[in-house]
Amino acid sequence: MKRAFPLGVALFAVAVYCGLIVTAGEQYLHADLSLGIPTGIRTLTAFLAGLAAVILFLGGDDLTDSSKPKILLGIGVAFILIGSYFGLFVAPPEQYMGETQRIMYVHVPTAWFALLAMTIAFVSAIVFLFRTDFKWDARMEGSIETGVVFAFLLCCQGAIWAKPTWGVWWDWDPRLTTTAVLLFAFVGILALRKFVDDPVKRGIWSAVATIIAFVDVPIVYFSVKWWNSLHQQQSSPDTVSKPFWIPLRANAFGILLLMTAFIMLRARISALRLKHELAPPPLAEAQLGEVV
Amino acid sequence: MSGGVVTGGWSFVVAAYAVTAAVFLIYGVTLIARLRDEERRSQ
Repeated sequence: MKRAFPLGVALFAVAVYCGLIVTAGEQYLHADLSLGIPTGIRTLTAFLAGLAAVILFLGGDDLTDSSKPKILLGIGVAFILIGSYFGLFVAPPEQYMGETQRIMYVHVPTAWFALLAMTIAFVSAIVFLFRTDFKWDARMEGSIETGVVFAFLLCCQGAIWAKPTWGVWWDWDPRLTTTAVLLFAFVGILALRKFVDDPVKRGIWSAVATIIAFVDVPIVYFSVKWWNSLHQQQSSPDTVSKPFWIPLRANAFGILLLMTAFIMLRARISALRLKHELAPPPLAEAQLGEVV
Repeated sequence: MSGGVVTGGWSFVVAAYAVTAAVFLIYGVTLIARLRDEERRSQ
């Protein structure tokens, strides 16, 4: 477990190399840093290595140390600053959406990692139900709250993008509606946790509610394919022009680290609160001392 | 909008980045403050 964090950092570095450095080398240094690996394999490697790094950061965290999430937070902010610089000042405007397309460099990664945070909550809920280990309850609460913050931000960014492109701030289109349902469902689970005092009941009830609410996550993702939606379909590396890759991917790596750090910090808060809740009251300790 | 092409829009771009920065900053600061409170309480 002690090696999880450095191993996660190494995997994250592999993801950044495959997903960002090679593309930056091609575009700005005119250097081939691909080591002969085809683009498709590099993209897949970046995705899998990034995901494995997050699993190691979260799974290997024993919720006793807050320095590691703070390191991830610092690196994440650096990536976002680089990505936003490229997104605002270097990347060209898009052919049809013009300057407003620059919103995509923050909106798309926020959407990805809102759904990932809720997926982490779902996995934590299942593990908690099987093992009744409160570390997983803390991770579940951390990822639900982070997912809610990201989903709220996603709706704000989407509204700001929708006004100049669709002419309205909001439309009850399937993608937007299912995202709003997801946001309110997870806000409801956080409210449920506030109202239940017994930690075991709170953990079990919110885990079950999380599993039920998670059903909406694939519906959000596939809504643009299943229904005739105003919202455009997902892009892939094949459908995004290369000048847009650097800001999108730099922000994606940065927001991924921010999401991971937020979950780790929030899980530590939950773990400390639980420790305080389960500690015997001072009077009981004093009485115990008299008996002994 | 002009001929199917969105024109202008910088104010929306700035607003989107400002909202993003504000949400991340506020949430990050509140998390660290809450964590410090809990750590102090558990000592």
